Amino acid sequence: MAGLTIRDARKSFGDTDVLKGVSIDVADGEFAVIVGPSGCGKSTLLRSVAGLEELTGGSIRIGDRDVTTLAPSDRGIAMVFQSYALYPHLTVYENMAFGLKIAKADKAAIDEAVRRAATILNIEPLLERKPAALSGGQRQRVAIGRAIVRQPQIFLFDEPLSNLDADLRVRMRYEFASLHRQLGTTTLYVTHDQVEAMTLADRIIVLRDGRIEQVGTPRELYERPANIFVAQFLGTPRMNILPAVAAGEAQAALADGRRIALPATTPAPTDGTDLSIGIRPEDIMLGDGPDALSFTVTFIERLGGLATVHLGARDGDEPLRCQLRDDGTLAEGDRVMAHFPPERLHLFDRDGQALARSTDE
Amino acid sequence: MSLRRWTVTLLAAIVALMTIAPLLWMVSVSFMARGEASQFPPPLLPDSPTLDNYRMLFGTFGLGRFLANSILVSTLATALALLFTVPAGYAFAKLRFRGRDATFRMLVAALVVPGQIGMLPLFLELKAMGLVNSYAGALIPWLAGIFGIFLVRQYCLSIPDEMLEAARIDGAGEGEILRRIVLPLLTPIIVTLALFVFLSSWNDFMWPLIILADQNLYTLPVALAAMSREHVQDNELMMAGAVVTTLPVLILFLALQRFYLSGLLTGSVKG
Repeated sequence: MAGLTIRDARKSFGDTDVLKGVSIDVADGEFAVIVGPSGCGKSTLLRSVAGLEELTGGSIRIGDRDVTTLAPSDRGIAMVFQSYALYPHLTVYENMAFGLKIAKADKAAIDEAVRRAATILNIEPLLERKPAALSGGQRQRVAIGRAIVRQPQIFLFDEPLSNLDADLRVRMRYEFASLHRQLGTTTLYVTHDQVEAMTLADRIIVLRDGRIEQVGTPRELYERPANIFVAQFLGTPRMNILPAVAAGEAQAALADGRRIALPATTPAPTDGTDLSIGIRPEDIMLGDGPDALSFTVTFIERLGGLATVHLGARDGDEPLRCQLRDDGTLAEGDRVMAHFPPERLHLFDRDGQALARSTDE
Repeated sequence: MSLRRWTVTLLAAIVALMTIAPLLWMVSVSFMARGEASQFPPPLLPDSPTLDNYRMLFGTFGLGRFLANSILVSTLATALALLFTVPAGYAFAKLRFRGRDATFRMLVAALVVPGQIGMLPLFLELKAMGLVNSYAGALIPWLAGIFGIFLVRQYCLSIPDEMLEAARIDGAGEGEILRRIVLPLLTPIIVTLALFVFLSSWNDFMWPLIILADQNLYTLPVALAAMSREHVQDNELMMAGAVVTTLPVLILFLALQRFYLSGLLTGSVKG
């Protein structure tokens, strides 16, 4: 096994720069998830690591080898594709054995490797079937099996769950996690789904427009997003962003003129500077309290146990979303008091970059 | 509903009968005695079936040789055509190389030029190469049919890139990918193409007539045509010759019908 080091990876297709200098370190055995909106370059990055795309600039190292110019099969990687990409005319067994057969491994070794992978994935009864006779989840498992058989130093996953239905996706997510625990192989996983990223990753790499926005553990990214993009990309419902202006000692004036208390930041924003105040839906407290503001309930999305309540202050303003346990007492049109605990607020400057809180030091 | 279905079935039966009737009569006449088919009205079935015509064909005229020639030429034409068109079609669909699309557009444009126009220049070219009056010369036009390349390319476009990439990661070289992944997936279209080429080269008359001067090299259609000049009145004999020419390909076609049909369908839908 080995770690992965990407240095200043650049890739252009014609005039379009898809990767604009991406550097990533994935430690040996780590499960790293690259997440970002579609078109951010995450699949290109993964395909470059696999050797399916040639970088325009930069380097890729796996373990202590520079693999930048090596053929895909010489890099010690295995990849699971979104479409599974199984060979339809071969049985499950033959699909999984294909790579070893090409490498001219001896029959007994191939058989052992295939059966071991099949046992790990619980697909022994399927070995003689053709892919057409398998369900989506089973195909996915075979695709992973084919990757395991190669005994790669690094697993690459390209949106492997996108083709599955919601229920199966949750189950496979769990299986990915336990598989990684079992095998301990360094993994680079690409997805556009922030839930997959949050639940699977040891570390998340948020990519936007060919650049890294932030790298960190799911917890770090959720609690201390480096900018508004990351703040709103992770977490559902999205973080509320309120435009405001710094006004006096640890205070800010909202667009409608009302004031809320801010956490201490270093340096403290000078009076009159534009700010964006972020607060996660679950951090808004309903009920009276110090500095509570009054809102009207404009809409309620009831999810069963939880409800997302839309709070409107003025007509035309984007409502705030607040998530709470649904006891069924609130109704649309109600006036409620809400307060924003200062320690739960995220402050961003005019460019959307987070202001460091004093307590971070 | 039922009446409608019966009508359709009946119409289909009539069309089928009209198509097959001449073929059946051809077989029937080939078993008739000399001059029997020239009576009026012509009989449907031989009065006393005889194999004389076939004996004469294979005995006096040595048709066996021409049959063997035809089998040889058509088989080689098919094999060579597949050898060149299948990899070419795959390359045009899936491999990245400079000028790929421009070259392909030119090829497709050339499809509209009728083959006959090229015959004279091709003949002169082959003459310069010293290939006139040889099977090599007879086979050259079949090597890389544009239609075949086109057919294979359209079919290859439906193979997902990810599958080929998976094979590349599995360590397969381009040749191995073609052989182990692409060819098995192309089976229906390869069978279709093989049948097309075999049928067309088997039935081809013009080109072998032009390029082959030595009688011993004649293929069946050319040999039969030469024969019919002397025996134009011998309907029964000519029909026996026609049976020998048609039957092998008819049997081949029927045997491969299953692949052939599925190939045409998939090709058209996915292409």
